[in-house]
Amino acid sequence: MSHPTVPQTGLGRRQISRRDMLRLSAMTTAGALLAACAPAAPAAPGQTSQAGGAEATQAKVKVVATTSMPITQWDAAMQRVVDQLPNIDLTLTQTDISQGGWAGYSDNIVTLIAGGEQLDVIMIAIEGLGLLTGKQILTPLDDFLAADTAAKEVLEQDVHPTLRAMLQVDGKQMEYPFSWNNMVTYYNTKIFADKGVTPPGPDWTWDEFLDTCLQIADVQGGADDLFAYSFWGNSAFGMSAWYFNNDTSALTEDWKASNLQDPKVAETLQFLADLILKHRVSPNPQGWDEGAQFNAGHLAMRTCGRWCIASSLTEEFTDYDLQYQPHKSGPIKTVAGTDGWGVASGSKNPAQAWEVVKFLSNTEASIDMVKSGGNIPALRSVAEMPIFTEYGPANTAIFYGSLDAAKTVPSPTNFNIIDPILNRHYQTIWNGEKSVEEALAAADAELQVEMDKLQ
Amino acid sequence: MHLSTTATTYKPATRAQKKGGRWRTNRMQEALAGYAFVLPAFLALLIFLIAPIVAAFVLVFMRYDVLSPPTWVGLENVRALFNDQRMLLMYWNTLRFVFFTTLINNMLGLLLAMGVNRAMHPVFKYLLRTALFFPVLTTAASLALVWNFLLTQDRGVVNYLLQQVGLEPVPWLSSTTWSMVSVVMFDVWRACGYLMVIYLSGLQGIPEVLYEAAEIDGANQWQSMRYITLPLITPAAFFAVIISLIGAAQVFDNVWVLTNGGPGDATRLIVLYIYEVGFKRFEMGYAAALSLTLFVVLIVLTIIQFRISRRWVHYD
Repeated sequence: MSHPTVPQTGLGRRQISRRDMLRLSAMTTAGALLAACAPAAPAAPGQTSQAGGAEATQAKVKVVATTSMPITQWDAAMQRVVDQLPNIDLTLTQTDISQGGWAGYSDNIVTLIAGGEQLDVIMIAIEGLGLLTGKQILTPLDDFLAADTAAKEVLEQDVHPTLRAMLQVDGKQMEYPFSWNNMVTYYNTKIFADKGVTPPGPDWTWDEFLDTCLQIADVQGGADDLFAYSFWGNSAFGMSAWYFNNDTSALTEDWKASNLQDPKVAETLQFLADLILKHRVSPNPQGWDEGAQFNAGHLAMRTCGRWCIASSLTEEFTDYDLQYQPHKSGPIKTVAGTDGWGVASGSKNPAQAWEVVKFLSNTEASIDMVKSGGNIPALRSVAEMPIFTEYGPANTAIFYGSLDAAKTVPSPTNFNIIDPILNRHYQTIWNGEKSVEEALAAADAELQVEMDKLQ
Repeated sequence: MHLSTTATTYKPATRAQKKGGRWRTNRMQEALAGYAFVLPAFLALLIFLIAPIVAAFVLVFMRYDVLSPPTWVGLENVRALFNDQRMLLMYWNTLRFVFFTTLINNMLGLLLAMGVNRAMHPVFKYLLRTALFFPVLTTAASLALVWNFLLTQDRGVVNYLLQQVGLEPVPWLSSTTWSMVSVVMFDVWRACGYLMVIYLSGLQGIPEVLYEAAEIDGANQWQSMRYITLPLITPAAFFAVIISLIGAAQVFDNVWVLTNGGPGDATRLIVLYIYEVGFKRFEMGYAAALSLTLFVVLIVLTIIQFRISRRWVHYD
């Protein structure tokens, strides 16, 4: 009996040659490449399509926030969402901000989304807002606000117009303001008393500041070294605190071009470089742990925002107070930057994401932030509560009080590119490798190329 | 062959039946089983190695910012390479870094291996070997925290000790010159333990009888090392040099966590630059073009190594 003839078709009956295998592999590779390069289709605002349709009982909402700002209140705020919005399945992912600041943080968010991460609620500060808006990662909140009179009323009545405006792009509210920061001078009251130095007044000048530094500093290269002052020399925010008080900035007023050729920029940098290299009253900011040294009594003054109160609270360090930055020329200004919560344009559950945004921006979350020594709350009602001054030194009120003199930190769309450029060149000034003029010439040439791309 | 088959009426087999039938089915099953066994590894290779390589070659001709669809730009990214002054600086940094780390890592690795290979108490040998290998197992991020603490210019531990003996503090991480020295030191401290293990395996593979014979012939310690040890560990040395060279050219984490490429561009190596162009500036096409240059450089270096190795590596 002969075997029945069976047509030898199909994978199971054919011998697979190496060529077939390679052909199949090539197809798989091509498919993977195409899939990797294809952009994710964004959901329309208001759309609430949930995978699984009616079977799903909870809408998934994923929140992305920083690892350190506004610090410890996340757990409590998230728990409130879980308790009070049972229809939402909430998850939190945190992205490091310690290296690269807001520029690095916004880069990370773009990379997360490009990698297929489904984000719904995004925390971002003004420094990264341009990048995310430019890449259409955020959806405007105006439609949500129009349909939510309570939230709109809070935004318009309880949030300062400057803070609202910082998170607007082309007149659209891209983020709901949650907190903000400025930069003030922290000084160690015990060191000032021990040295017999008068604490600074609110209108102190650069000359008075330098005199104070020279009276305080005692740097011999030993374990008991006392530095007078340390500054945040590798960030737009830290440097703007000095530029603005000399009536200048690294960028022009419209953030469209380099302003590094302004003589006042060179004057400001020379003043700071002299603190390190000539007067030896400041350490090189590179690798210097400013917060730890201040709390340990090895540093008399530093410039920081309210978030620096957090470590003082943790370490129960209380021998310090605050004052405005010293001033050189032009109107007195304080640098300011706002952060907030926004809804991702790719969110599959934007309505639920909006509910989470409101929870993470409300009074309770703001009070948690105040108690943890985090940023200044965007809600005026919280900043005016007694609790705001209870968690901080005697002069804590200047944090919110300076808002009328606030000037926004330069935050163009390409902030993530220009911030590293500036910081790279600042480093060569602080370590004495280049003169201020040389470093500025190199930085200006590089910066202007990037700014021209925005035109 | 099964009985049922033998019971069938004989008919002359056709050509197809001769090549096919059960025998062919068995071969097919064997082939399928073989492919099934290698498939997981092959898919991993395909997805995580071959696909990115293919993608990198394709992306050279694209403008791609990771969120928008890629667009064809022809040779624009290749042309940009010729105008990129920073790239030359990154290669100069990388060249210095690779040269010094490869040289020091291998010399120190060999010396440590010879030291550990000496006759000593087994417990002490075990502890010494573990201590020297331990940095290899520790993450760069945690080590960098410690090294930062040690090397900070102001109030750093090393500078404090230098000043105690009357020396000037050294700007280990903040000077253009010293930061490269610090990064090399950090890499050597992390990697030489691994090379020590490779050299140790080479040393332990040398038969003891050769040394005994040399001793009988009157060879001193230097002659034994010159004519027995060094020639016989050349295969291990060749392997160690190749992997340390390629590893050094691809170093990322050490520099990222210790100096972040600074001050200025002083310690920015080509891999860190490629990362920044790709994932900070989101210019994936240009990052791919930069990767291509590194690929070519590494291929050329490896070919040169293999060519030269014929003169100094002894496999007999």
